[in-house]
Amino acid sequence: MWTRLLQRLLILGLMLLGVSLLAFLVPYVSGGDPVRTILMSRVRDLDVDPAAVEAMRIHLGLDRPLAVQYGAWLWQALQGDLGYSFASGRPVASEIGHALGVSITLALTALGIAAAVAIPLGTLAATRPGGTVDSATTLMVQTFVATPEYWLAPMGILVFALHLGWLPSAGWTSWTALVLPATVLSLRPMAYFTQVTRAAMMDVLQAPYITAARSRGLSMRQTVMRHGLRNGSLPVVTFFALWLAGLLGGSVVIEVIFAIPGMGRLLYEAVINRDVPMLQGGFVSIVALSILINTIADMLYVALNPAVRSGHAH
Amino acid sequence: MRIDNTSQSVAASSLLPMRPRHLAAQRLWRFLRGRHWTFRTGVVILVALVITLILAPWIAPHDPAVQNLIARLSPPSAEHWLGTDHLGRDLFSRLLVGGRFTVTIAMVTVLLSFAIGTLIGVVAGRVVGGVFDEVTMRIIDVLISIPDVVVAIFLVAIFGPGYATLIASLTVIGWTPFARLARGLTLAINAQGYIRAAEVLGCSRSFIVLRHVIPNIIRPIAAVSFLRFGHKLITVGALSFLGLGVQPPAADWALMLADAQPYVERLPILMIAPGLAIFVAALSVTWIGHGLEIEARDGDSGDE
Repeated sequence: MWTRLLQRLLILGLMLLGVSLLAFLVPYVSGGDPVRTILMSRVRDLDVDPAAVEAMRIHLGLDRPLAVQYGAWLWQALQGDLGYSFASGRPVASEIGHALGVSITLALTALGIAAAVAIPLGTLAATRPGGTVDSATTLMVQTFVATPEYWLAPMGILVFALHLGWLPSAGWTSWTALVLPATVLSLRPMAYFTQVTRAAMMDVLQAPYITAARSRGLSMRQTVMRHGLRNGSLPVVTFFALWLAGLLGGSVVIEVIFAIPGMGRLLYEAVINRDVPMLQGGFVSIVALSILINTIADMLYVALNPAVRSGHAH
Repeated sequence: MRIDNTSQSVAASSLLPMRPRHLAAQRLWRFLRGRHWTFRTGVVILVALVITLILAPWIAPHDPAVQNLIARLSPPSAEHWLGTDHLGRDLFSRLLVGGRFTVTIAMVTVLLSFAIGTLIGVVAGRVVGGVFDEVTMRIIDVLISIPDVVVAIFLVAIFGPGYATLIASLTVIGWTPFARLARGLTLAINAQGYIRAAEVLGCSRSFIVLRHVIPNIIRPIAAVSFLRFGHKLITVGALSFLGLGVQPPAADWALMLADAQPYVERLPILMIAPGLAIFVAALSVTWIGHGLEIEARDGDSGDE
């Protein structure tokens, strides 16, 4: 298990190095002179004085070999210095910090809603496979998976914000602004959580200790509560983390539609504004966080599951 | 019935008299009969959808690109069955052609992911525990957690939107679930008698993989392909919605949704119709995938 963890960390490190190299190369591969890119985005003038460009090149150290520049860039990035945003002029790292807080709040709320519905529903469906509840649940799961959130969100705004006036249509000012985006965002993870819970509970309910508990005279309800849920909810932990990682940057559409200042919108605006430092910083931090959260979740799963811990289920 | 390479069915089919040839329609009917209604509906919708998308330019009542600023935002009428958009273009005609880009990108992405993932997964499963297996599996552990939308946005920002950029960026992450699944399925059949027999008989490794392993694990993977297809349809749409996929003035469902936003209160159908189109397309392939998944699972347990 330890060698596996070490291998995992090694690959993780290599992957992050690769991702950072990719991000570093953005100004060089996207066409045009990187110095001009920087100057142009500052002054929005296509005819920049060549002398100014040359002075800027030497000032920023862009005349050094690429490898040296990468080393310097990486060293700065590791110290939390990701440069200044072209669009706002503020440090990229602090903008990312703010956006991350917003995205984590949104993602955790959405996943909380998802788990609160999915775990009871999946359990209920598993207790009577093929029954009415199970069939209805399956249909619900398929519907949620197939619903584009960029359709549901504007429709939700139309109904709940414009017609009924119950909720704000956009923004990030009060908790009511969280309700609509979090609900729309929760449907897809809800569908997957329900499937995972159902499958896990179906497995658990066939285990000998469930039969034993039932034969001791426990009702189905008590059996599920005492034995089933504890063992059946284990895979949901991994899935929860995987979705948390996915939603940090993956909720772009929702954040754009509802004007939520999170990581997804930050990345989107970086693309629209051709804000190179923001794009680099946003991409590296989203990928690094997704990978880290997922690694922690995998380790947590191993720690919680004795069968995997002993190498039995490799 | 089904063609697989177990010795039983080969023997059985050679003993049976020649079967009469069936018409394609009869075959389809036999294939659909006895399956769940969602699977049947999914197949019918998908076939209709593909035919519509191919024939769309010829069956559309109006040119989907022609603007008519006098008749903009008009409600459904005999002339314009679903009304017109903010530039006076016929909504129904745009709806017919609007899935071409998204469906093509999603289909190619899934096929590529399917091919790459299955190949890597099967090879890893055959050399389980070796260096190739360990390295690829650890890479997958890491890659699988990166949101594909983020990778796509990053690459589109650098290389600009286009078929190649979108397909590449979605495939970079997209192959990983296929590889994991293919490896797991390969592990499960590694110890089967027919694999052992082929090994003992001295069959080459590539022969065993192509002739014995892949045909026996293909059905659950095919099921997953359809499920991923639905997922990709929505992801490609999301990118187009953000302006990073198909570019205006092309007719595309997700672009139509984005365009409709300012006018949704005045003419809700501008948003309802294209959204419903994406939803129905994604739902049909999800239903097919789910049906295939159940069949593959039940089929496996029945053979043992």
